[in-house]
Order: sequence, then structure tokens, then C-alpha cells
Amino acid sequence: MRIVIAEDAAVLRDGLRLLLTTRGHEVAAAVGDGDALQAAVEEHRPDVAVIDVRMPPTHTDEGLRAAIRIREDHPDLGVLMFSQYIETRYAARLLAGGADGVGYLLKERVADIRDFLSALDRVAAGETVLDPEVVTQIMGAGRRAEALSTLTPRERDVLAMMAEGRSNGAIAEALFLSYGSVEKHVTQIFTKLGLPPSESDHRRVLAVLHYLQA
Amino acid sequence: MRTDRQADGGSGPWRAWARAAVWRELAYALAMPLMAGIGVAYLLLVLVGVLLAANVVGLPVLALCAHGARGLGAVNRGLARVLAGEPTPAPAPFRAPPGLLNWFTAALCDVAGWRAVIHSVVRLPAAALAFGAAATLWAGGLFLLGAPLWAPARLRPDIWPGAPLLSVAGLALLLLAPAGVHLALGPERLLARTLLGPAPGALRIRTLEETRARAVLDADAALRRIERDLHDGTAARLVTLAMSLGMAQEELAEADRPERLERARALVGGAHSSAKEILAELRDLIRGIHPPALDKGLEVALATLAARTPLPVELDADLPVRPSPAVESIAFYCTAELLANVVKHSGARHAAVEVRVRDGLLVLTVRDDGRGGAVVGAGSGLRGLAERVAVVDGAFDVRSPAGGPTVVTVRLPLHI
Repeated sequence: MRIVIAEDAAVLRDGLRLLLTTRGHEVAAAVGDGDALQAAVEEHRPDVAVIDVRMPPTHTDEGLRAAIRIREDHPDLGVLMFSQYIETRYAARLLAGGADGVGYLLKERVADIRDFLSALDRVAAGETVLDPEVVTQIMGAGRRAEALSTLTPRERDVLAMMAEGRSNGAIAEALFLSYGSVEKHVTQIFTKLGLPPSESDHRRVLAVLHYLQA
Repeated sequence: MRTDRQADGGSGPWRAWARAAVWRELAYALAMPLMAGIGVAYLLLVLVGVLLAANVVGLPVLALCAHGARGLGAVNRGLARVLAGEPTPAPAPFRAPPGLLNWFTAALCDVAGWRAVIHSVVRLPAAALAFGAAATLWAGGLFLLGAPLWAPARLRPDIWPGAPLLSVAGLALLLLAPAGVHLALGPERLLARTLLGPAPGALRIRTLEETRARAVLDADAALRRIERDLHDGTAARLVTLAMSLGMAQEELAEADRPERLERARALVGGAHSSAKEILAELRDLIRGIHPPALDKGLEVALATLAARTPLPVELDADLPVRPSPAVESIAFYCTAELLANVVKHSGARHAAVEVRVRDGLLVLTVRDDGRGGAVVGAGSGLRGLAERVAVVDGAFDVRSPAGGPTVVTVRLPLHI
């Protein structure tokens, strides 16, 4: 996989490069700000860009804005945003342009090498990956708390995993449930939240997110 | 005065007339009848307002009078600043809640307006004095100076040969005139200062508002700095550390092959040294937030600071009473910043820090034998220090002639 890294902390940038190259990926470029990222994407046409949200010069959402710009020109490029803390607003802005091949993770997830690499693979394959923290924040935000409070704890678990972009099969495996009962939970969630059921996994994420942030 | 004249480069007593301030003060004195007249006319207007106020209709008139007096006050203040050399800050701007009734109420109760009205009453004798002195000294002097011209026609022939003597007296009056007018303007200056500026309490409030705003900004900037340091430094390093350990873990999971074991060893080694770097970074960060040595007192903290400074620092601290923690903290940061400046900019070979208690104030002096030329402002850190000191009503004084030495004195209240 061809990867471009945009991360302003040199120590982490080098660490990521080391990690990805030892795992057989090609790191085409590792840059430190949004403009350099854009140039690197134009030049190397990577499969995935791993982008820090906060970069110079503004040290706010520089990386996010660069990612949104780049996605407009290259809808096929997988974008894995990662950042020190999760901002639900950022997730919504990122997903507004389409959820295919978009990920948003806490930086610390890099510590679990296998999960991080599989997230990268999923983003490259066009799936959506959201950090569990995004879901926790939305759940705790008090928004639509009434609707959410009607969910059973088990249904909340399922919703959280749906929001992370997992398929029913994956959810069943993770929660030690049968495929059928997961399907039942999902239908139940959609009914309780007043959402029409949908086919693909990432559409479910979008639907959940959009509904919760409305 | 004398040195001023010598500095002007001229000689002779008439150099006194060459100073522009003399003519400005004369203009001010001569403007007095006009300004006093306007004031009296305005007073009559106010009087009408007061009489009308007996029935309620007059109250708005009175409010307008009080509000208009601000304008009169501004003109008088401007004259005092430009001509009499008395720079008086403007009072706080007029503020009224929305609504016509509120406006009238606020105008009626406007202290600055009424102070201007009072000014136009009590200034009358002061204005008379100023004008009288100017008229006597300048006009009288000129009149006597011109004695040889008019004396032959007016005086008896047996007296007029004394006319040159009158001229000399006139010249003396004219020479005295600048200083005389300056003195006679004293009461006018005093009144402008006390009645046309902000009320004493208002001035204090303004200072407090400014210093409070600075304190808030300062605290905010400090928090941002800490956040930035934690985010860009420590957190990034910790993520990398966790990642290295994660990679090592994976290598160890399949440690049957020697090269995997070797890679794991290298990863753990890297993680180990980066953990040590994080610790060092955190220590610096913590010291930046609050130096632990400060808990044992300012003297101890300053001794540590002096020892850490890459330049010989002579420390002489004697504090019989322990100041408030916040004061200690400000004194410490001032010293740290000043010593850092010495190292960075002064080219000095020695520095000395002295801390004393004098007149109930903590007096901190930092001096160096460098090249001098330090100024507060111009984007220097000194300005920030001065502002920080002002927050607790302290004083910040920099003496730094070109060529050195630089002496910075900080005075802080012991307790806040």
C-alpha cells in the first residue's frame, strides 16, 4: 500500500514511517503541514493518507481542512485522520463529504499495532472507521438523550460498534452473539431511533451520526 | 531650568523667550477671558436649567446641560494640554443604557459633566490670576520698555530724562514674564488636573480593569503554552513510545526467529530512551508551571536559578518576612526572565541579583555588566514583565544606558 503521512511532530512521524515500512507498506512521503500534504498527494497518488488533525501554521484543524480539500479532488483516496483528542464536530465535517474510505482515530490507537493496521486496511478498502471515543462522546453529549435512553445496554453496545463501521458479522463475533440476534438488535435500534434500515455498513454510520448530530 | 537653557546652546537671559512653551503659556493666559466668559455663559444656562427643574420639564434641560459640560470640559482640557503643558487623561466615556429616559437619567447623574460645570465656576479666580499676571508682566513690561517713545510727549520735561530707567524696569519685567506666567498658571493647571480628568476612583478602576485584563490574558497565554507543550511534545512522544512497545510486543509474540528478537530488543531500547526523554521534558514543563524549589522559599528558588544560569550570578537575598506565594512567584519569574535576557542579549560576564525588603516592599534588583541599551516595549520581554508586575500594583524600572550597565529594579508589595 502506498501511504503519505502528514504529522508535525517529527518523533511520531518517524515512528509511523518505521512501523509502516516494517509492515511492508510503502511510505511515499512524510510531511509536516497541510500544504506539503496536498503537494505530496498530487505527486505520489497514494492509496491512503494518514493525517494529523492539528498541524502548523494554525495548530487547530489544519489537517482536517487539508483532508477535506484533498478528498474533493481525489474521492478515491483513503483518509485516516488521527488526533490527540476526538472532536465530534470534526468527525461530522469529515464525513459530510462522503464516508467511503474515511477514518478518524485517536493517536493512541497506534499502540495496538494490529488494530491500527487493520483500520488502515479498511480505510484503504473504502470502509469507514470511527474511534470508539466518537461514539462515546455522542452518547454522552446529551443530545437526543431521550431517544438513546430507550435503548437497552446491549443495543447501545451494538450501536457503538455500528458507528465504528463494523458489519453485523463482526459485531456478532465481538459481542459473542448470534448473527440473527445482532440483526434483531440493529432493526430494533433503527426502529427506536426512527431510522429506515439501510444496506451497507458505512451508510449506517452516517445515518447514526447525522441523526445524533441533527 | 538653567541647564535647559544651556542645553539650548544659547546665552543671555533673553533665551527664556525663545522657548515655544513661553508663548503657548502666554496664549493660554490670554485665552482666559474668552474661556471664562464661555464658562459664565454656560453657568447661566445651567442656572436656567436649575430654575426650570422646579417643575419637571426643566430636568431634561439640566441633563442636556450636564452632558454638554463634557464638551466644554474637553475644550478646556485640550487647551490645558496643548498650551499649558498639563496632559490630563479624558474621563471615562459617557455610557447610558438604551432608552431615552435612561439616557436623561444617566446624563443628569454624569459625574464628569458636573465636575466640568464646577470647574467653570472655581476656575474664575484662577483664570483672573493667569490673565492678570500675563497682562501685567507682558503688557506692563512692553509699556515701560517703550518709555523713551512716549515719555517726551506725556511727562513733564524735568522727569522724562528718567525714561531710560523705565525702559530698564520694563526689560526686567519682560525677563520675569515667562517664569511669572508659568507660576500664575499653577492654579489653572491644578484645577484642570483635578476636575477635568477622570474622578480619582475612576482612575483606580481603570487601572484595575487594565491590569485585570492583563492578568486574565496572561493566565490564558500560560495555559495555552502548557497545552501546546503537552500536546506537541509529551503526548506525541508518549504515543510514539506506546507504538514502539506495541511493535516490540508483536515481534516478541513470534520470537522464535533470532532477527525478530533482535528487532524487539532494538524497539524496547528505543522505547526506554524515549521514556527517559519524556521524563526530562515533563520535569522542565513542571518547573515552568511552578518551580518546586519555590515551595521552600524565594531565596532557595533563586539560589537554584542562579546556579542553573550559564553565567556567574552573585545572589544576595535577605527576606526577614516571607511574601505571599503569588508575589514570590512573580519575583521568581521576573528574575528568571531577566537573567535569561542577560544571557541572551547583554553580552555580560557577570550578573548580580539582590532581594531586599524596603519600606514594606519587596525590592528585587538584577544588574549586569553588559552592553546596556535595553528598553521596555519594542516587543521585548521586558514589557510583559512590567505588565505582570503591574497586576499586583508593583513597579518596574529599567536603567540601561548604551554601553551598560543594565539595572532592573522590581518593587512588589509583600502581600496581596
